Amino acid sequence: MTELEAGHAEALAPAQSGAAFQRYRDILFALVAFAVLASLPLFTGSKALLDFVIRCSAYGLFATSLNLLVGYTGLTSFGHGMFFGLGAYSFGLIMQKLAVSIPVAFAATLAITALIAATIGAICVRLKEIYFAFVTLAFQMLIHSTILSWASFTGGDQGLRGGIPRPAFLGIDLSNHVHLYVTSCALLILGLLAMRQIAQSPFGYTLRMIRDNAARASFLGIDVWRAKLTVFVLAALFASMGGMVMALFVSGAYPEFAYWTISGEGIFINMLGGVSTFLGPMVGTVLLLLLNDTVTRLTEYHGIVLGVVILFFALGLRKGLLDFAAEWVSRRRNAGEGR
Amino acid sequence: MTITRTPGISRRSTLALMGAGAMTFAAPWVARAQAKTIKIGMPTILSGRVAQLGTSSRNAVMLEVEKANAAGGLAGRQIEMVIRDSKGQPQEAARVARELVNTDGCELLLDGEASSGSFAVHEVARDLGVLCIHTCSEASSLTADPKQHIPNAFRCVRQGIHDSIVGGSYAAAIARAKSLKKWATCSPDYAYGRDTTGEFTLYLKRFAPDVEIISESWPKLFQPDYTEVVTKILQAKAQALYSCLWGGDLTSYIDQANIYAMFGQMEVFAVNMADYTALTVVKNLPKGIHSGNRYIKTFPTTPENAAWGDAYKAKYNEYPTNWSWQNATAVMFLAEAAKKANSADGKKIAEVLKGLTIKCPFGADGTVTMRGDDQTLVGYAIGWGTTIPQEPYVPEIKAGDWKTIFELEAEWKKSKGFT
Repeated sequence: MTELEAGHAEALAPAQSGAAFQRYRDILFALVAFAVLASLPLFTGSKALLDFVIRCSAYGLFATSLNLLVGYTGLTSFGHGMFFGLGAYSFGLIMQKLAVSIPVAFAATLAITALIAATIGAICVRLKEIYFAFVTLAFQMLIHSTILSWASFTGGDQGLRGGIPRPAFLGIDLSNHVHLYVTSCALLILGLLAMRQIAQSPFGYTLRMIRDNAARASFLGIDVWRAKLTVFVLAALFASMGGMVMALFVSGAYPEFAYWTISGEGIFINMLGGVSTFLGPMVGTVLLLLLNDTVTRLTEYHGIVLGVVILFFALGLRKGLLDFAAEWVSRRRNAGEGR
Repeated sequence: MTITRTPGISRRSTLALMGAGAMTFAAPWVARAQAKTIKIGMPTILSGRVAQLGTSSRNAVMLEVEKANAAGGLAGRQIEMVIRDSKGQPQEAARVARELVNTDGCELLLDGEASSGSFAVHEVARDLGVLCIHTCSEASSLTADPKQHIPNAFRCVRQGIHDSIVGGSYAAAIARAKSLKKWATCSPDYAYGRDTTGEFTLYLKRFAPDVEIISESWPKLFQPDYTEVVTKILQAKAQALYSCLWGGDLTSYIDQANIYAMFGQMEVFAVNMADYTALTVVKNLPKGIHSGNRYIKTFPTTPENAAWGDAYKAKYNEYPTNWSWQNATAVMFLAEAAKKANSADGKKIAEVLKGLTIKCPFGADGTVTMRGDDQTLVGYAIGWGTTIPQEPYVPEIKAGDWKTIFELEAEWKKSKGFT
């Protein structure tokens, strides 16, 4: 080892131990979060609350995976909902047509999503900004139209009917509401933890570099196309997981899951929660679903209320809630240190 | 200035948050504790382009619930409707349906969803075992397909297959009389449009084998401009046109086709024309459009039907829709079944509902039946007639024959592998 290399190794050691500490902290945080969520049915009989958490799991996975593209890589996808729909349909169709166990269908769905995402991504990630956004939207509409047109296979606009079979596996019976709830929580926590590791890994920092200056990253020897394609496929996998949770929740799959409005909701969730903090989309998901559930109980003019909320975030806070809160805390801390 | 308050959440805020949390968790028990009334939940579409489906369904339900409550409610329990918007999204319809049962304590469901939303609510009914009556979805497979069958779900809605059989035989009679051999079709490009058109032409050709379809157009749902479709049909020189466009799409189409004087050049069969939502909105309603009845207060030609249409108009200042009569009939069924079962319990009502015949202003012979084997509505007034530009809009309607409908429906079910 040369003197220079030895110096580098010394400098890297604390950084590596810091990363390891952060990883353990994340895992501990995830375990605590899962324990709290999983024990909820012991304290409450509210099925509505459990339903709410299941839906948060589906949308949370979807929105956080979108943030890997939007927030971390600077790829604003208008068509991310296609993978949410793809997950729901692939899983539902496999369970309906093939007599396989749920884990096999789950793995097969992820494999199908990865294949399709790699194909679509290979075309899309060559493009930038608005061109990328619109080509992803075009692919989403292609998939949506295919679902509508291929009625003999997908059920067309009436969706996958007849319910999704849920044979028990490893003692888990997903037709039991509590089992479904705990499984959804587990998928959410595992998904978030995996995405957190991706975001905090050297690969995650490469994505940030690409977002900030792709040309510079390229000059440093990074294969930008490959990195973008990798994150596109990874994000698609987590969105697909969200779609599977939703398919299990409604016991079906519907063309609306692959429609552009789902992608729009994903963008809206990211706007609400914030894209600079990892948990911003999760906060956005909880906010949007709470808003939706509360406002639709009170009025059918929920569009006006949601519009006002968007205006408040876009013109008032000018950022997502968690981003705003993080900035506010940081400002207070700095002010406190300055006194 | 000295800041005395420490940063973070105050004690008051914490208490308020805890109170709000406790209210959320307690809501189901509070809801169940108030069991003097019986709550009926209804997810439906109250916003967006087909909001009229939900609003006219809600109006009809409230009209009938008032009557039912005045007559003692369901086995002595006053009905309280809890009606929520699903925005026409199936996942939202499923969520709302579950919330209505699990949180609001609704013991019965009226499913005012169309198309995919109704299948989503159907799965909720399957999961929760709650009695559910579908009141808007016309998709035949919802009850015809045995895979969909669950003992606690019923359908109180007209069906595409019934309309196609009656429409096909009516149109075939005119085709034979006027020698209309070259036909065009123009229907919305989604499952309802394609299925209904396919079934109509199937029965049209069955009763008039000389008929040939020379042009097919499939405009998108909610398409604003129909110029290319109208010119395509005119260029094909069709003698007759069939369409199952509906609502705003149908009225836009007619207004635009009027510019090309299409209605003077061919016989037009528009199954969804005879509904006040279309009849009263078209700027210049052409004379002589053939249509199936959706809801029209002059068919069936009974004082009961006319009185019901007038009562609705008097209360809501607009005429009822097809969805209105279906929802009203569902409440009538519930009231009668609860009376016969002497109970408001969903399971007991479901047992009585199977095969139940009730008096109804919308029945072909003054009664309608909830057929036992597939738990769907039969015997409702169904027929075709021709339009005039002013009230009563469709003065004479030729009633369909239910005996023929049953025979051909049985054949159709067999061909689909449903029986």
